[in-house]
Amino acid sequence: MKVGSILKTVLFSLQITVISFIIHSCEMPATGFDDVEDAILYTKDQKVDAPKPDSTIRIMTWNIRFGIGRGLWAMDACGNRVIFSETEILEGLNNILDRINIVRPDILLLQEVHINSTCSAYIDELRWILEHSYFNYAAYGSSWKAQIVPSDGLGRMDECNAILSRWPISEAERIQLALRSDQGGLVRYFDNRHCIVKAKIEIPEFESFYAVNAHTSAFATDDTKYQHLVEFKDVLDNIAQSGNRFVAGGDLNTIPPGSDSTDFCFEDMCSDESFHHPGDDPQHKDGSNYAPEADWMVPLYTDYKCAVPLDLYQSDQQAYFTHTTRPEHFWDRTLDYLFTNYRWRDGSVITHQEFLYDSDHAPVSAEFALEKK
Amino acid sequence: MVYIVLFLQGISLIAQDLSLPVRDTWSFNTAYLMPAHKWECGLYQPFRYGLSNKFEIHANAIIFPLIPNAGIKIALGSRDGFVFASDHFISSQTIFMNVVSREGIGGLIAPEFDFPLIIAISNSFLVSKPIGSESLLSGSAGFVFAFRGDKPNPQSTIDLPVVYPRMTHSYEGITIRTGLSYKGAFSKKLFYEEGLQSFFVTRSKNNFFAENSGSLMWAAGRTIRIKAGYILSYGKYPFGGHWQLWPTIDFVFGSRI
Repeated sequence: MKVGSILKTVLFSLQITVISFIIHSCEMPATGFDDVEDAILYTKDQKVDAPKPDSTIRIMTWNIRFGIGRGLWAMDACGNRVIFSETEILEGLNNILDRINIVRPDILLLQEVHINSTCSAYIDELRWILEHSYFNYAAYGSSWKAQIVPSDGLGRMDECNAILSRWPISEAERIQLALRSDQGGLVRYFDNRHCIVKAKIEIPEFESFYAVNAHTSAFATDDTKYQHLVEFKDVLDNIAQSGNRFVAGGDLNTIPPGSDSTDFCFEDMCSDESFHHPGDDPQHKDGSNYAPEADWMVPLYTDYKCAVPLDLYQSDQQAYFTHTTRPEHFWDRTLDYLFTNYRWRDGSVITHQEFLYDSDHAPVSAEFALEKK
Repeated sequence: MVYIVLFLQGISLIAQDLSLPVRDTWSFNTAYLMPAHKWECGLYQPFRYGLSNKFEIHANAIIFPLIPNAGIKIALGSRDGFVFASDHFISSQTIFMNVVSREGIGGLIAPEFDFPLIIAISNSFLVSKPIGSESLLSGSAGFVFAFRGDKPNPQSTIDLPVVYPRMTHSYEGITIRTGLSYKGAFSKKLFYEEGLQSFFVTRSKNNFFAENSGSLMWAAGRTIRIKAGYILSYGKYPFGGHWQLWPTIDFVFGSRI
């Protein structure tokens, strides 16, 4: 056999083998997901002893805005910056860690956590928080993942919902929420793919329960956000109907029923924008008018226990506001929630409004009652 | 000295006169030059023109408005069946980087960055050796460096396989490139190529990249050829190590062959 023929055969075989192997593991320009797939699990190498809870544990939800605090990000807040430096992100993460250490939640639901993304200096924020805190386990599902987002210089993007726990996570799923139908195909391909992350938490001597973390669409102008809320409740209904307990929360991007203010177009308006005037198109800023959503949260409040019950919220709404888009302002609306199908300890809920500059969302925490085995 | 040049030119002509279909059809990326007064141009493959049997000029035509570039390949002769050439290339990515540093769709780099004039120079040495009457083995080694003002912000890179390794010198370090390719013929019109290329960058991180490419190449007519295949890359990027497999396709037009 000639040398050329041998080389030809070897190269051809090598090509086929390598391509077959790699083709299954390679990343698409933007990542799509199955309807339900395994979440990604992180475990801390040097574990911290988890306490033996008495009868309750503290649950906290927080959209941490990938550690940029109230930074002027170009994608919201009328900002002009896309990229934040490693120094800025680490300072933001250290602030978040300080707050976590003050509240000392046992289970933490985080939204807008970045994994090796360009705009957050390629830091694996979940790994950083896990390694620098007392949590031992984490599960996450990406809600926006692309090798490159070819818009605004966002670059590589991997944003996720994450659940952190002191105790082992025995199973974890990423559940895909509906994609927006008000975007063109190419924009939708590279844009958010909102999701729910569901994890089963195992605490010795207590019944296991599910932690469910959702981040719904903020800017959809069609019924996508409504679908997300329906899908979120479906997940909770399925857990409840199977006889299990859950704590569920997240940034649901809509306001509670009976809110005094439902339209935030003027609060959120940038200097070059105009709304509500004849000829303005659109009439409302995307994601700022909640008036059509007034009753979208009713089924959740009806069937499950919100950590901030509706009557408590309605008695003093400002005390439970968790969000603002304006960099220098106090919280002006409630978008972040905790629900359970079991029990919150009475009077345990705290809306941490004092953490004013660590994100554009305030965390909410409450004590969840455990059930002995 | 004149005799040496004439001698080298002589053996260069002899080497190029030997009949070798894969070289005559697919001499890009080898030590062989375009024959004098012949040209070819692909969508991605550079425009190449043989000034003489000693010199070839080339430029990537499609990207030229955004990345002005030009190069020259010089035949250095042959010895013991090995054919030698050098390649020298100058380009500037500044216009491209400033154009894609923008708000909205098409913004591959964040709009807060501005790029100074960056001029990159590449020098490489190529060697090819026919193996039998059907195939050709080629190797290359060279380096790319850039003249620039301040170093661009390291977060203003385009973190894509194939693209990132070819822009590293604009940011920091000198890129040392080596390559190996093997081209052969399945038939008179159907050819193949397998290639390996590595990029070492003289800096402390994000400094190694490797690519394996494979193509089937079809001489569809005397003036048009089509190549399609894959490129498999690995690299150490700012976000970590990463493998990527991409399909490739190119249409090459040119003088009659």
